[in-house]
Amino acid sequence: MNLYSTAIALLLVCGVSTPAWAKVAVGEPAPDFSLTDSNGKTQTLSQYKGKVVVLEWNNPECPFVGKHYGSGNMQKQQADATAAGAIWLTINSGAAGKQGNLDAAGANAYIAKVGAKQTAYLFDSAGTAGHLYGARTTPHIYIIDAQGVLRYMGGIDSIASTDKEDLPRATQFVPQVLAELKTGKAVSVTTSQPYGCGVKYGS
Amino acid sequence: MMSHPFVSGACAGAALLAAASVAASPVQTDHVGVELVSAATALVPGRSASLGLRFVHEPHWHTYWINPGDSGLATKLSWQLPAGFHAGEIIWPAPQRFDVDGLFNFGYSGDALLPVQLDVPASAKPGSAVQLAVEARWLVCREECIPGKALLTLDLPIAGEAAIDPRWQAGFAAARAAQPQPGRWTGTAHERGERIEVTLSGSVADLPSDPALDAFVIQRQVVGYAPPQISRGANALTVSFAKSEYFTDAPAAIDLLLVSGVPPNVHAWSAHAPLDATKPQP
Repeated sequence: MNLYSTAIALLLVCGVSTPAWAKVAVGEPAPDFSLTDSNGKTQTLSQYKGKVVVLEWNNPECPFVGKHYGSGNMQKQQADATAAGAIWLTINSGAAGKQGNLDAAGANAYIAKVGAKQTAYLFDSAGTAGHLYGARTTPHIYIIDAQGVLRYMGGIDSIASTDKEDLPRATQFVPQVLAELKTGKAVSVTTSQPYGCGVKYGS
Repeated sequence: MMSHPFVSGACAGAALLAAASVAASPVQTDHVGVELVSAATALVPGRSASLGLRFVHEPHWHTYWINPGDSGLATKLSWQLPAGFHAGEIIWPAPQRFDVDGLFNFGYSGDALLPVQLDVPASAKPGSAVQLAVEARWLVCREECIPGKALLTLDLPIAGEAAIDPRWQAGFAAARAAQPQPGRWTGTAHERGERIEVTLSGSVADLPSDPALDAFVIQRQVVGYAPPQISRGANALTVSFAKSEYFTDAPAAIDLLLVSGVPPNVHAWSAHAPLDATKPQP
């Protein structure tokens, strides 16, 4: 191949730079992270080894998130999960200045207003945990078993919409996966297409 | 079904407008204007007509293609038509790619029209008029997103002949120009490790030469939504996508669009590439 054709070949292969998305996979150990929560405490995934952990990506102003909080669906799933011994970590990867970015007081006010029942609300404004997990939407759900292995990643339910009326017809994946993990059954749906608003990462 | 004040309002408005011969109902919502339009000024019995859902987006705002990409939601239509009339699915024009801080969305911006074919029954009576109604649901986003919903109506006369409505001529022409044309090539797709490669073989003259060519896969949970790598060999073009993290079952075939240019000067080709069912190559 001469210089000319090499140059043409290089020109024709459209190299594209994308952010450093890590790749997590169901059946693989879930990567650890360390983030500060709305009460100023450090939260890591590894501190919850021995418990099932649900990760929920959140942007309070996203209409898809509003569907699940406005209907009480999310709070009920949080309450049921934590009552059954699971840990529920809500993560906000919205960058400073972007829609839905909150400070500690704002997050605690939001939790109180909607009656959220998560274990903790975590800030990830640098997008580190979001990129580590490949979180793309709000909501976006990951479920990690007591051994620290990722067992589910994807949408919160099976119907992509902003309409509360769709909730009764949709398969709610979080309670389904948690019930299957509890009884030692195989997880029947391990991935689904996440749907929602894009996570408001920084540039 | 729940009653929505907005829809009820639109219904009342529609009733008021029902007497008019050609009454469109443009609805201005947050960051996008929406209306139901017809390519022609009348409907002809026994013929099909072109309707369109016209979106006029504020700058930087977009609505979505059938596959919205990393986030977002495809526009959905639900028709309420007189007996004997039938509306088809949206005939999706080629989408644009939007890069929102590393997340990729596929859809439409500016003045965009989604065409739909309406079949008019032969029994429709010239001299009468019909009201067509559609409930449209969409998501409009810049970075932030706002769901929209409206009942749009259009009253049209039934006539022996129909003239082109000059108001929407450019919009329908642009939507038609952006329709993917079947490519004259043979497509095959392969899983190669963490990538899905589609190879299109044909004569050089038939393969798009645009160095800024883009490609979009219609199915979800197959490929990632970042721009693919497109390379050219002798008589072939290879489009290599990262495999979706949500890939579960290999589809029998991958349906993709190749898109060149930007609106209103878009050229698009469709390709159907059976996925090689043999063992994935590393």
